[in-house]
Amino acid sequence: MNETEFDQKLGKYADVVVRVGLNLRKGQRLLIRGILEDAPLIRKVTESAYKAGAVFVDVLYTDERLNRIRLEHADPESLTDVPGWLYARYEEYYERMDADLAISSTDPDLLTGISPERIAKYRKAIMQKMEPLRKYENTTNWCVVSTASPAWSKKVFPELSTKEAQEKLWEEIFAGCRIDMPDPVDAWKKHVTNLKKYRDYLNDQRFAALHYIAPGTDLMIGLPEKHLWAGAQAEFKNGITGIPNLPTEEVFTTPHKDKVHGTVLSTRPLSYMGALIEDFSLTFENGRAVKVAAKTGEETLRKLIETDENACRLGEAALVPHSSPIGQRGILFYNTLFDENAACHIALGNSYRETIIGGEDMTEEEFNASGGNKSLVHTDFMIGSDQLDIDGIKTNDSRVPLLRAGEWAMDV
Amino acid sequence: MSSNETHQQMLAKYAEVIVKIGLNLRAGQPLSIRTPTHTSALVREIARVAYQKGASLVDVLWSDDGVSRARAEFAPRDSHDEYPVWQVDGMLKIIEKGGAMLTIVAVDPDLLNGLDTGFVGKLQQAQLKNFDPVRTIVMRNAINWCVVAAYGSAWARKVFPDFKPAQAEEKLWQAIFESTRVTEPDPIAAWDRHIQNLRKRSDYLQAKKYSALSYKSPGTDFSLGLPPGHKWVGGNSLAENGIVFTANMPTEEIFTLPDRHRAEGTVAATFPLSYGGNLIEDFSLTFENGCIVKVNAGKNQSILQQLVDTDEGSTRLGEVSLVPASSPIGKRGYLFYNTLFDENASCHIAIGRAYRFTLIGGEELTDEEFMSAGGNISLNHVDFMIGSGKMDIDGIKDDGTREPVMRSGEWAFDV
Repeated sequence: MNETEFDQKLGKYADVVVRVGLNLRKGQRLLIRGILEDAPLIRKVTESAYKAGAVFVDVLYTDERLNRIRLEHADPESLTDVPGWLYARYEEYYERMDADLAISSTDPDLLTGISPERIAKYRKAIMQKMEPLRKYENTTNWCVVSTASPAWSKKVFPELSTKEAQEKLWEEIFAGCRIDMPDPVDAWKKHVTNLKKYRDYLNDQRFAALHYIAPGTDLMIGLPEKHLWAGAQAEFKNGITGIPNLPTEEVFTTPHKDKVHGTVLSTRPLSYMGALIEDFSLTFENGRAVKVAAKTGEETLRKLIETDENACRLGEAALVPHSSPIGQRGILFYNTLFDENAACHIALGNSYRETIIGGEDMTEEEFNASGGNKSLVHTDFMIGSDQLDIDGIKTNDSRVPLLRAGEWAMDV
Repeated sequence: MSSNETHQQMLAKYAEVIVKIGLNLRAGQPLSIRTPTHTSALVREIARVAYQKGASLVDVLWSDDGVSRARAEFAPRDSHDEYPVWQVDGMLKIIEKGGAMLTIVAVDPDLLNGLDTGFVGKLQQAQLKNFDPVRTIVMRNAINWCVVAAYGSAWARKVFPDFKPAQAEEKLWQAIFESTRVTEPDPIAAWDRHIQNLRKRSDYLQAKKYSALSYKSPGTDFSLGLPPGHKWVGGNSLAENGIVFTANMPTEEIFTLPDRHRAEGTVAATFPLSYGGNLIEDFSLTFENGCIVKVNAGKNQSILQQLVDTDEGSTRLGEVSLVPASSPIGKRGYLFYNTLFDENASCHIAIGRAYRFTLIGGEELTDEEFMSAGGNISLNHVDFMIGSGKMDIDGIKDDGTREPVMRSGEWAFDV
């Protein structure tokens, strides 16, 4: 790709983000949050958003290196000091039903070598400060996308120079987001229609549980009676329909927080708060992870599930065929947005309200009683492979094959 | 700069001078930084030094020229009042918690060149109005604050148009490092000496209690009144929070406030003025009774007129500042298109608001009292350069006697 080609593709990508992902409406404001290295895309999105009629684009840049510097050099006691404007900014825009774009291009090794205690303390303070924003979940059209930042690219393609690695990762991002298609907007329409078929099939079946079998994995995930499969598109409370993740290949629902049993083995490393957790497994009893093991990062994994009372329970189960355009590439991305669309996954922590029928209007007690989980964290990790079989189990105990050898096993 | 490593070392030294001399940051203080995105290498060094000095939080608000330009170019023409109020609230919160403030300037002087000047002007007004609560606190020296510069590619290209980008970058950084004394063997000691020298000049002028200054140079025949109680300031300042800080780096100026009611004659700018992303060039202002009655500009006269029309205070002066033409920055002979540098290369005056601390007891006065004492109030404070090697300035005493203050752009008195 020469510079001009790249610039054109970046422009197309920005248009897809604004028109398909966010489906931005004239008169909305747009919040963007990204790291300094996301600037080339942020500028294009800003331009595209104004052309689509945005009245204001409010960009919040973060320098992730400064986070590391703070964790390294600041007085540990001061790490819980979270500036109040961070919360105020989101509240202000969510209250006005404005659009929200987050860019996820973090260096997976950013916090390597920093003590997990410091990281956990710092992270928890931020999560606690931001927790009340959960009430705005799916209120406004939001979207998460990525850019090929230098450090992340180098992590994915360590054998290449940083520049080459960025080029290669950009190619992956453009392919995964269907920017290479002659008409990306139309390609997205078709893709969404296809994903919806699987989502609707799963909703019609009303499964009571999902049974996962793979090497190292024998896991039974009970589903709440009122579980709802989501995916592809989301309808936000402000009346706009958009696609909250680009790329997206998953359909997902929530496990019942008390009805998960058995052991699951991860199939890809988990990058959590700048530290890598590798070759890990979790054993569940009555919904709680009662045993964890990891070849590396076990301490970080333990810190993660101890964040609060329910961080040890599951909040999401997502199905992605092994042959998804992202999975096909066989690349480990060290970035949830990409890795979660390459493989089946589950998430520790909070459940999305939209995955329980009527969940968005329930009180916390009602949501919990329905089987939904409430936690400060929501961390996906990958369990899919070409050796994964999943059965859907109905209330009468009959079984329906959903995935065989990692691929969809039902006709929709 | 012979290698990246030495450049990195210079950045680290620069960061140290900024935190220790500029801000004089104290343990436990949070620090708010406003800066463009391309300054990250410097900002990271500053954050490191600040945390090592015990800063409780370094809170950085990044601005992006690309995003600013996209707004000016593509945003709906009636959307100029949209403003991220959370930014101002966040800064006020840091100030409330006893924090310090740093601004890093590296803007592209031509950023908004060629764009709809009407819309750009309205954006500028919205910025001035919304940012006013912070500016008010800073301008009365309530806290320790500092403005410094960093390299920016567009800025370097503007200053050194005949050089390749890499050379222009090197030259601009070199100018920044030299003028902020970072190249001295012991930068901290060099600053201490420099601040003492500036103090001697300001003490001399303070003792004189001139009632007016009279300026003569090609295109300029102008006088301005100095109100009773005017205070000459230079080098460092004492903030209300008890911390002695140096508000600008570099700084070569001695300054005070003019009487808002007394300015007569015509003054010609000797440098272009970079305002809101546009350059105003070859301009002069004519005053009667302290008020601008005529503006003239070779380029961007309408932007100059917008500036003067902002509010009543923008038709009057709020600062008068003396800098010898041979100042380390002036003698480089470049135009920096950046107030922080150009104002330390040349005598200048400012349209708009006067600093409260340039009037004895000014911090305690109500707006009305401050104005009747001769202080000016405005949303603006815009410096422009009037000095040159051909400038003569006399101090005029109460009894009308004249004493030379500057001759041919140089100090005309010994201290």
